[in-house]
Amino acid sequence: MPITIHNPQPNAPAPRRPRAVDIDMDVPSDSESDSENGGAAIEGDIPMLDGESMHVDEEDEDEEQTDTRDEILTPGTVITSNAQWMRGHGTYVPPNTTSITSSLAGTLTRTNKLLSVRPLRARYNPEIGDLVVGRIVEVQAKRWRVDVAAAQLAILQISAINLPGGILRKRTETDELQIRSFFSEGDLLVAEVQQLHQDGAASLHTRSLKYGKLRNGVFVAVGGTGGGGGVVRSKRQLWTMETSNAGSKIDVLLGVNGYIWISKHIESDVAAEAAGINRMEESVSSQIYSSQNNHIDVPTMREIARCRSVILALVENGVKIDEDTVTRGYHEAVEFGRESADDDIYLGGERGKRLAAALSGR
Amino acid sequence: MAQQTLLSPAELAYLHSSLTLSPPIRPDGRTSKQFRPLTAETGILPGTNGSARVCLSDGTEAIVGVKAEIEKTVDPLGGEHYQEYVKSASGVGGGDAEADRSAARGEWLEMTVEIPGLRDDDAGTVFLAELLREALLADGEFAKKLWINRRFHWRLYLDILLISPPLSYPLPLLSLTTHLALLATRLPRLKSEGDEDPMFDDDWEAAPFLYPREGATTGSRPSITLLVVAVGDSILFDPSKEELAVADSALAVSLCEVRTQREQGGMEVDSGRELRLVSMRTIDPPSRLTPPGVPSTANLAASGTSDTTQQKQQQRTEEHPQEGVWKAPLGGTRFAVLDSIMQAVLEKGGVADEVLDGLEGVDLA
Repeated sequence: MPITIHNPQPNAPAPRRPRAVDIDMDVPSDSESDSENGGAAIEGDIPMLDGESMHVDEEDEDEEQTDTRDEILTPGTVITSNAQWMRGHGTYVPPNTTSITSSLAGTLTRTNKLLSVRPLRARYNPEIGDLVVGRIVEVQAKRWRVDVAAAQLAILQISAINLPGGILRKRTETDELQIRSFFSEGDLLVAEVQQLHQDGAASLHTRSLKYGKLRNGVFVAVGGTGGGGGVVRSKRQLWTMETSNAGSKIDVLLGVNGYIWISKHIESDVAAEAAGINRMEESVSSQIYSSQNNHIDVPTMREIARCRSVILALVENGVKIDEDTVTRGYHEAVEFGRESADDDIYLGGERGKRLAAALSGR
Repeated sequence: MAQQTLLSPAELAYLHSSLTLSPPIRPDGRTSKQFRPLTAETGILPGTNGSARVCLSDGTEAIVGVKAEIEKTVDPLGGEHYQEYVKSASGVGGGDAEADRSAARGEWLEMTVEIPGLRDDDAGTVFLAELLREALLADGEFAKKLWINRRFHWRLYLDILLISPPLSYPLPLLSLTTHLALLATRLPRLKSEGDEDPMFDDDWEAAPFLYPREGATTGSRPSITLLVVAVGDSILFDPSKEELAVADSALAVSLCEVRTQREQGGMEVDSGRELRLVSMRTIDPPSRLTPPGVPSTANLAASGTSDTTQQKQQQRTEEHPQEGVWKAPLGGTRFAVLDSIMQAVLEKGGVADEVLDGLEGVDLA
C-alpha cells in the first residue's frame, strides 16, 4: 500500500495522574530526573503542580488538582503570588507585583522552592565542551559561520581548525586565500564548543582528530536539548555500532544540538598510528578535508537507512535519543524487518508506534 | 524551486548513490512508490463552501478553503451586444443549455497560494498556484460547473495555505488538500429558472455538492498532481527534501479521474475508473545549482600545496566522474525515464489508483 491516510485523532483526554504531593513537601525525585535526562523533558516527566492548584483553598483542592495537572503554561500566565517560591528559568516577576509569571509556553517544573518553566520546544543553547554537528552557511575572510541550530550562527575561526601538514603549522595568508578548500558552504562538520560570547553565540574548534569534515553517511536533524523528544546530553555522543544483515560497522554521532550524523565506520590506518604521534597528524590530515566518499557496500547503506528511520521514528513518538535507545531501537527494527519478506525498513506511522512501545515496554 | 536545501557534496554523493541502486534505498527507508502517511479531514472551516486540512507525518500541514461568490457574466464583445443576444435567445426559448455552458471560462476560478516565509508575489508561489489551477481546469469540465445561467456565474476563490514552513516542495500536499476541499464543496441550490436573477435555497442541508457523490455518478473528479522524481533509473514518489535535492529531474504529473458507466454484456454495470493524464510539467530540481564535489586527489587542502601534477589530475577527473564525488546532473529527462514514470502512475493498480482509493476513504463532512 503506497499511501495511508488517517482520520484525525480526537484530542485524547489527559491521562489521570496520581494525586500530587502536598505543596510543602519536598520532591527530591524531580531534581534527580533532571540530571538524568540532561535537561530535556521526556514524556511522563511532569508530575508538577501548576499555578491554579497552588493557591486553591482547602475545600475545592480535590477537583482543581485533578483537572489541571498537565496544563501548559503560556507566556503571561501567573503561576503564583505566594512569596515562598523563587523564580527560575522561564519565569519573571512583572514590575510592581510579587507574582511569578511564565515567560514561555511550557510546563512547570518545581525543584524544592524554585519554580521554572520548561519550554515545549526551544532552540539549542550552546555550552562549552558540547559536541555539535554543524553546517557551514557562510564563508568569511578568516572564519566560517556555522549553523548549529542555536539562536545565532556559531563561529569557526580559521585558527581553530587543524591545518593540513601537521598540527603545529602556523596559519598563513595562503590558507586564508584557499579557505573554501577546507570548508565551503553546505559542508557538515563535527566540532566542539570552545567559547561562548556575550550575546550567546558560540565559537567552535576542530582541533582534534575526532573532529572535522563529515562524509560517508547521512544527516538527520531532530530537536536538540530543551524541547520534547530529541538528543539528550549523555556520556557518549559518538559510538560505533555493529550492524546486522551483513552490513559493516557504522558510526552514529549524536550532536548535542540535535543534528545527527550516521556514517560507515572507516578503520583508521594502522600503519599511520604505529608511526608515532607527529607522523599520524600528517597522514590523517591528507584525508581530513576530503569530500569524496569511500566505497560503501549496499548492505551497509541499508543499515544506515534503517538506523536513520529508527531515529526518525523515535522522535515522532517522543522518545529521547541517546546511545541506549538508538541501539535497542535498531535491534528491534532488525527484528521488525525479518517479519516481512522484503525487509521493510520504513518505520513511519503504525510501525513507528510499535517500535516506541517495544522500547518503553522492555 | 521553492527553497534551496543546503547539503554538503559528500551528502549529495551518498544520497545519489543510494537512490540509484535497484531497488533504491531512500533515506527514510520507504519503498520507491510509498507515500508518507498523512492525516486528512474535510469541512474544518465553517465559513467556507468547502474546506480540507491535510497533515503530513513530517509536520507539514496545509489548509484549503473554497469560497463561492455570484458574479455577473460580462460579455467579452461588449455590453449592448450581449443584451441583445440575451433578448434574442430568451425570445427563442432558452436555447441549448449545453452550448451555453461551453461559454464558461477558466478565469472564474481564482487561486492563491500562501507559504510562510515567502512573498505572495514570489515566482515560486505564483508558479505553484498556476500549476494547480491549470491542472484543475485542464479537464474542461470544471469551469462548466460554475455556470449558473447566461447572465450569472459562480466565481470560486480557492485559498491554499501552507501552515508549516515548507520542509519539502509542497506541491503534492497542496494538490491533495485542494482535491479534498473541492470534493467537500457545496453550492446553494438554485431555485430560480432560466436567465432570471438567481435565487437560492436557504437550506444549507439541501445544497448540492460541486462534485456529486455516491452511486451512479459519472463525470470527472478534481485532478490531483503528484510530484515524481527520477534519480538515475529509479523513480520516486512523494520525495522528501533530501531526495529532491539530488534528483536528476522532477516532474509534476497531473491526472484526473473520469468515472464512466458502461454496460458490460448487458448484465452488470461497471463504474470503472478511467485515469486521464491532464498535464505534465517539469520542475527545476535544486540539484542543478549545486557546486560539484572535489575529488580527494584534486583537493588543495589535502596536501597543502598545489603543483602541476595535481592540476593535470584535476583536469583528468573532470572528464571521468569518480565514485563518491558529487556531480550536478546535466541535460534533460531521458525518454525511457518519462515512459516509466507514466507507466508507474497510470497503470491499473498503479500509484494514482492507490492514491485515489486512499482519498476516497476520507470522510467528507
